[in-house]
Amino acid sequence: MSLNLELVNITKRFGPTLANDHVSITAHGGEIHALLGENGAGKSTLMSILSGRYQPDVGEIRLSGEPVRFTSPAHALARGVGMVHQRFMLVDAFTVAENVCLAAGGSPLLDLKAEAARIRELSDRFGLDADPDRPVHTLSMGERQRVEILKLLRLGARVLIFDEPTSVLTPTEIERFCQVLKTLRQEGRAIVFITHKLEEALELSDRISILRRGRLVAHTTPAEAGGKRNLARMMVGREVIFAIDKPAVEPGPEVLRLEGLTGGGDPARPAFSGVDLALRRGEVLAVVGVAGNGQTELAEALAGLAPLTAGSVSFEGARHEAKAWAAAPKDALAYVPEDRHHEGSVPELSMTHNYLLTRLSAFTRGLLLDWTGGAEATRKAIERFAIKAEGPHQPSGELSGGNLQKLLLARELSRLPSVLVVQQPTQGLDIGASEDVWKSLLEAREHAGVLLVTGDLTEALTLADRVAVIFAGRILGVADVSDPDQVARISPMMAGVRQ
Amino acid sequence: MNDFAFLLSLTLKSSMAVLLAAQGEVLSERAGVINLGQEGMMLMGAFIGYLVGYLTGNAALAFAAAGLVGSLLALLHGFFAIRLGANQLLSGIALSILGAGLANFMGRGFIGKPGLRVGEWPIPVLSDLPMVGKAVFGQNALVYVAVLVTVAMWFALSRTRWGLTVRACGENPTAADAMGAPVIRTRFTAVALGGFLSGMAGAYLSLVFTPGWKEGISAGQGWIAVAIVIFSGWRPLGALAGSLFFGFLSALQFFSQATGNNVVPLYILRILPYVLTILTLSFAAALGRRGRAPAGLGKPFFREH
Repeated sequence: MSLNLELVNITKRFGPTLANDHVSITAHGGEIHALLGENGAGKSTLMSILSGRYQPDVGEIRLSGEPVRFTSPAHALARGVGMVHQRFMLVDAFTVAENVCLAAGGSPLLDLKAEAARIRELSDRFGLDADPDRPVHTLSMGERQRVEILKLLRLGARVLIFDEPTSVLTPTEIERFCQVLKTLRQEGRAIVFITHKLEEALELSDRISILRRGRLVAHTTPAEAGGKRNLARMMVGREVIFAIDKPAVEPGPEVLRLEGLTGGGDPARPAFSGVDLALRRGEVLAVVGVAGNGQTELAEALAGLAPLTAGSVSFEGARHEAKAWAAAPKDALAYVPEDRHHEGSVPELSMTHNYLLTRLSAFTRGLLLDWTGGAEATRKAIERFAIKAEGPHQPSGELSGGNLQKLLLARELSRLPSVLVVQQPTQGLDIGASEDVWKSLLEAREHAGVLLVTGDLTEALTLADRVAVIFAGRILGVADVSDPDQVARISPMMAGVRQ
Repeated sequence: MNDFAFLLSLTLKSSMAVLLAAQGEVLSERAGVINLGQEGMMLMGAFIGYLVGYLTGNAALAFAAAGLVGSLLALLHGFFAIRLGANQLLSGIALSILGAGLANFMGRGFIGKPGLRVGEWPIPVLSDLPMVGKAVFGQNALVYVAVLVTVAMWFALSRTRWGLTVRACGENPTAADAMGAPVIRTRFTAVALGGFLSGMAGAYLSLVFTPGWKEGISAGQGWIAVAIVIFSGWRPLGALAGSLFFGFLSALQFFSQATGNNVVPLYILRILPYVLTILTLSFAAALGRRGRAPAGLGKPFFREH
């Protein structure tokens, strides 16, 4: 029977979050299969199940028709299913040959010369161009990736899974990688790669599966996909699912103005450039884009966490040059980062601790912290935001994602900021928690302008008054949500099409 | 015997305890576990080695018992450092204190009692060589064992699959785990074997070097072994060189005492190894940053889920 790997009806739940909901896909030998979806859509979970890291709650995996259960990545690899992680699993201090040897097993005495010969042979056959004697820490990211591929091939992998394979590569390296994938396909291997880049899926793959919020929403081929625009629509979802009450708020004065803002990433290749945006009190301005187009860096730079190289930020009646912004006073700017578990909070500390982290000045009496007042304020926040928790003393790491997000919002809103920057506020949250978060964001308009960075178009259209689309670090356009014609232009712009 | 041969012989004799302990520490640290309990393991090894020698008169048994007690103490450290992911420095220091206290407590009644004394074991023919023959090949058996251990350690770490696994666990346990290496088991094995060598190192002191039991018999050699490991760049052959250097400094003391030749004042010679140890440990962080320390050294490993 020909090589194929089927995932049938896979369901995986983490606490209240349904990461994969009855997903079925099949990877065939001699084919490249792209798994497309936004961050948090459940792609990585699905591939972790495929490669033996997680066990599915429901569903089954079949390898060439035969049901299999992979108990560990090593077990999956023994059956010929291997994964190249986004973070490479290589020992930097070892040479290529030593790394391969470590993975490949064999006789008790090392024979690195024989291994090197085998590596050269595989390397030539698949065009991997790997020098077995070079230490890994001297290799570029692209070379390291090829070593990972080599490792899998050496171990006899027939199904190769790649997690965001191009995210760490330079454009030349990406071209190189595509060549390697095509060679692998020619040799009859089955390839699955996870991506959120539409062009890649269209150019490289034979089949495309699209995941959104844990569910398989479409299964197509590059020919049938109907172009980038359609693919983007399927990936982010356009229909407004939840009608939530959005009271009108009279727009107030302008609270934030960005002019020609450039920065993020390394100075030679800024993550975003020439960004002009203005935000008024009482409005929600969404910045949407497919992940990796500079929106994360833009939000971080506004919070003072990423460098700015050119342009200016006007805030609180003062105009700050790009380089001076990081050090400018930002008491009235609140920021809720994308990674609520590690960047937005300290999981080991109590809720009170976490609540006080950005509010230290308000809860300091002389040299001492006002713990009683802090705990009281946290308790009130728990009540007001309906956070499910044992009490202010509970470590915030024990909270579910939704409750933690509500705590962070409560904390930031209690500062009565004039600008609130939020990133992916409902990523990974269930519907109930998402709605609570949305309500809080709408309430924040009373005293603030809200800059909402999101990859979820539904969320942007539900909350925002205006939607700015960012592509390759530039704002391609700003659409007024009340104008259907302008809204229709958002999806194409997310794929880089300007009309 | 001429002065040179005398000095060489003394150097070898004085280096072996520190050499064995350093090899044990090299193994443990290459697997990613710092064990600062060297002093405690050596003292317990010294006492148990002395005790078993005193009771049985059997040198092999005495060394085996000393090694085992070293292993047991090392496994205690391993339990905290590897299984529970505790701070390795603290756990190691605690082990040092525990071993020293326990050895002193149990050994109180034995101070000054003559025990087993392991004599020299000249190798035929080689020891009759002119000049250095007697100094190098007329040594006690443990000197040969320690040198063999060093060569074996070098071979195991650089030429065997097990050594590759040990190094991978010390460099990047997450990657090692992903490649199917048993990280926890490998770390425990390395720590236990390292402890065995430290225990033997202690017994060398109480059975060969200065036979008999006295409190603080190791005189800080456990710490010197740790310093040598860092100074040697975590390499078995480097540790041999470092140990010989330490042995040479010690030998100079005996030499100048024996010959009355005081070119360098004796008290300077006495403090020199300790000063060098303190300097090495002070710059340990900087030496580590030069990229020679195992990248995963001191970091507990747990599989993330």
